[in-house]
Amino acid sequence: MSSQDRTEAVSVPTQEMTILAQDPTVKVDGQILTAEARIPAEALGPGPRGFRVFVVDFDASDGVLYAPATIPVRGKAGELVGNPAFHAQNVYAIVMRTLARFEFALGRRVSWSFDGHQIHVAPHAFAEANAFYSKRDRGLFFGYFTDDKRQPVFTCLSHDVVAHETTHSLLDGLRERYTFPSSPDQAAFHEGYADVVALLSIFSLPNVVEQLMDAAAPTREPEFVGTDWLSKDRLRETALFGLGEEVDPRRSALRRSVTLKPDKNLLDQSEFLEPHRRGEVLVAAVMNAFLDIWRARIAEPAGNGQRLLRAKVAEEGRVAADHLLTMVIRALDYAPVTDLLFGDYWAALLTADIEVQPDDSKYHYRDVISASFREYGVDAAPTKGAAGHPRAWEPPDARLDYSKTHYGAMRQDRDEIFRFVWENREGLGLCDEAYTRVQSVRPCLRLSSEGFLLQETVAEYVQILNLMAGDLRRFKIRCPDGMPPETPVTLYGGGALIFSDYGQLKYHVRTRVLNADRQGARLDYLWKSGFFEARETEPRRFSDMHRARMMGGKDLTGKDRYEHDNVF
Amino acid sequence: MTTSSSPSTVTIRTYQVGFGDCFLLSFQYSHEKRHMLIDFGTNGTPDGNNKEQLLKIAKDIRQQCGSKLHVVVATHRHKDHIDGFATNGDESSGKIIADCRPDVVIQPWTEDPDAPTNAEETTQTRVVNFTAALTAMQAFAERSLTEAGRLDAFRGERREELAFAGENNLPNKSAVMNLMKMAKTNLYVNAGLPVDLEAVLPGVKVLVLGPPTLKQSADIRKERRSDPDEFWLRQAEFWKASRREDTEGRPLFGNAVEAGTYPLATRWFTERAAVVRGEELLELVRILDKAMNNTSVILLLEFNGKRLLFPGDAQIENWEYALGQQKWASLLGSVNLYKVGHHASRNATPKSLWKLFDNKSASHSPKRLRTVVSTMAGKYGTKTESQVPRETLVTELKATSDYFTTQELTGNVFYHDETM
Repeated sequence: MSSQDRTEAVSVPTQEMTILAQDPTVKVDGQILTAEARIPAEALGPGPRGFRVFVVDFDASDGVLYAPATIPVRGKAGELVGNPAFHAQNVYAIVMRTLARFEFALGRRVSWSFDGHQIHVAPHAFAEANAFYSKRDRGLFFGYFTDDKRQPVFTCLSHDVVAHETTHSLLDGLRERYTFPSSPDQAAFHEGYADVVALLSIFSLPNVVEQLMDAAAPTREPEFVGTDWLSKDRLRETALFGLGEEVDPRRSALRRSVTLKPDKNLLDQSEFLEPHRRGEVLVAAVMNAFLDIWRARIAEPAGNGQRLLRAKVAEEGRVAADHLLTMVIRALDYAPVTDLLFGDYWAALLTADIEVQPDDSKYHYRDVISASFREYGVDAAPTKGAAGHPRAWEPPDARLDYSKTHYGAMRQDRDEIFRFVWENREGLGLCDEAYTRVQSVRPCLRLSSEGFLLQETVAEYVQILNLMAGDLRRFKIRCPDGMPPETPVTLYGGGALIFSDYGQLKYHVRTRVLNADRQGARLDYLWKSGFFEARETEPRRFSDMHRARMMGGKDLTGKDRYEHDNVF
Repeated sequence: MTTSSSPSTVTIRTYQVGFGDCFLLSFQYSHEKRHMLIDFGTNGTPDGNNKEQLLKIAKDIRQQCGSKLHVVVATHRHKDHIDGFATNGDESSGKIIADCRPDVVIQPWTEDPDAPTNAEETTQTRVVNFTAALTAMQAFAERSLTEAGRLDAFRGERREELAFAGENNLPNKSAVMNLMKMAKTNLYVNAGLPVDLEAVLPGVKVLVLGPPTLKQSADIRKERRSDPDEFWLRQAEFWKASRREDTEGRPLFGNAVEAGTYPLATRWFTERAAVVRGEELLELVRILDKAMNNTSVILLLEFNGKRLLFPGDAQIENWEYALGQQKWASLLGSVNLYKVGHHASRNATPKSLWKLFDNKSASHSPKRLRTVVSTMAGKYGTKTESQVPRETLVTELKATSDYFTTQELTGNVFYHDETM
């Protein structure tokens, strides 16, 4: 690449780029909403092509590669929407922004899930109302289509969609086994989690909350907002809490999970066994907690006729969203490595926050979150509770041997971590007969909202046990009805190990490979859903999942429905 | 001409159409024969000469029926079931069939041009949306073939399946129009709809077991979403939106890089993106292929104490309604001949149906169940889960029925007769 092809390196560590803050269909006072996103500065090549993202504007439907874009592109929103170079900039900036947000929350560099440093992004990948992440292809694919007015619609211009897909790829890099079939909760988690990150990310864009929180008001004052527009019901109906305008051909079937009515039996209903719907329960629990916290921070009852400073209300929303988003991301380090249940994630959220924010007495983030999860019927993980909080993870109670390992090496070296695990296999409760592998070791330096620094090392190991269905009884694990005893079965377990800056194990978040209840339920779910049939194993599940959502919410695929008792 | 009240026998002529269906049922009355043609199409004959083979078969049908057909059944709209009815060209198989002046044409309710206004059992909106979705799916199939032509990196068995399934789902306008016009009476049927063919096929009772209407489907499946009207609207919109007929052939933007000059750094990913698109198209085409299969008419014919079951390509979702009807269980139990559903694929002969057949037997006997399949291997790949014909099913058919497959027809032999 010649030097002329490169854009000039900037001397500051961040740079600003124009993005669309909302889908082009969301307009305030007739204007498309843009924002200046702050992202890591770097010397970009054409594409743009940076150190973590490579935009390749290839349209497979037309078999055409568009010329690599040189950015930044600036201009009026109406002009930008039709400019392919801006489309490339929009995806580049939102992917980088989301990545940077994860790295800030986790206090370290975050890798993509595949073997490589740069993710490919195709902003006009094909003519279809779909967008997805594919690990195998190291890429994010954004489709385009024509709406019912025959206008082109580009999913790459939707902040929600781009942030959602980027989150899939980041989550997959942090917890690769969450894409494995396991339970209704795990199947739903990726979707719900990606929605939560996409929604909370919007709040940190400058001037967006100010514009959107009372956009439906007949008259608006530039400096003030009436408390009439700050009730929970009114806020839920704003564009801040809706997703998916740009990928719905009629722009009407908006996904607004926050309006889901709390119900302790929701997760048991057949409708909510479907991954998309179940994921919405997670979104509803987190986003309603966020609304409660935001409104508590405003400290003014809604509908009392008062006017509040617009900037102040927006700032409170930004702070609350920022805190919650950090919790949401950081919790991944405290979540099980395999077979996640919503209750585990709840415990991880609390634990992550306790570690950096021991004092929660002002806005009670943790209490509000717990109340919200309870209202939506999430079963709490069975914990005794850390730091007096009944649902957080507890520190390990076994006496562990640190004498044969060096902490300095344990901060970097998987083999050293494995030695620690091996020497303490009894104390950690590992299954002796399973294959054990340390997946990663990640030193972290986390920053609390009060400027307090927390140093931790996070390591993950997995355990894999291969056996036959006929062997399950030996371990008191229930074999699914009708499963032949010679069926090969693989059980997974594992744990996240959180070490303090003194090298002591603070938490061991694990799923036991021989946990009879969990494994029995998992096998039953997999057997009933046809997992044990030979199928195409390529995990392109994100395209299937997202397409199903576009097509009306049913899990409609071209694959044959498999019922063990009813097909040859 | 007088006709005795009931036929004594029927001869089922199974034609060699490769991957497709074509059955001529000739009922023997005391003084004459009367004829019912069930499907006439192919999506690939063994020698690849589809048109010639269809013409040869059409002429044979004309000869067999003495230029007079009584009933024509087109179970569903797929090419491999109706292509023979097309009237393209000077001498067409479709014209020969039309010239046989069938009295009645039977098709699924989804083919009824007035379906939305006749929607008594469910909302008109839902039917409008559903039929719009089917039409949009076929338009999409056309587009998928155009796109697939550009995806050089998408190769092998999956590309062949995409081409095959895409082709099979193309709108067969000529055949559809011919079916609409060729008879005095067109019957558009659904599960349980009374059909009286006494005037044209005396003594032959016809019971329609499928396809279910949308209401019948919803009743048994318990729609997960509260608003099925909305569901089918979204379906229709999805398929319509995935088109670009306004810009077909022209790129979206004017800054395309000339083919063959792509920057080296982009080449790995552009190949991957083409493969991803190919896979996506295949999955979409599978979805619409299945949706169309499930519009198949399922007919149970009864005469002189014998029962013949012709389910087209109905898959498990279509069968679900019929198998849930207790009143039909004993009728299905006494079936004497079963036309194996969907060319013997995995999902078209539910075990719960197979279990009902009382005439299955490990040993040969005059009463033993007869099974007939029209199929050709290799069209749906070689993987166990998708192979057609499905090996485990064929093993079962061979073990407990008198089994015939068109794969046994070799050389110049282009049909097989079975009389019962």
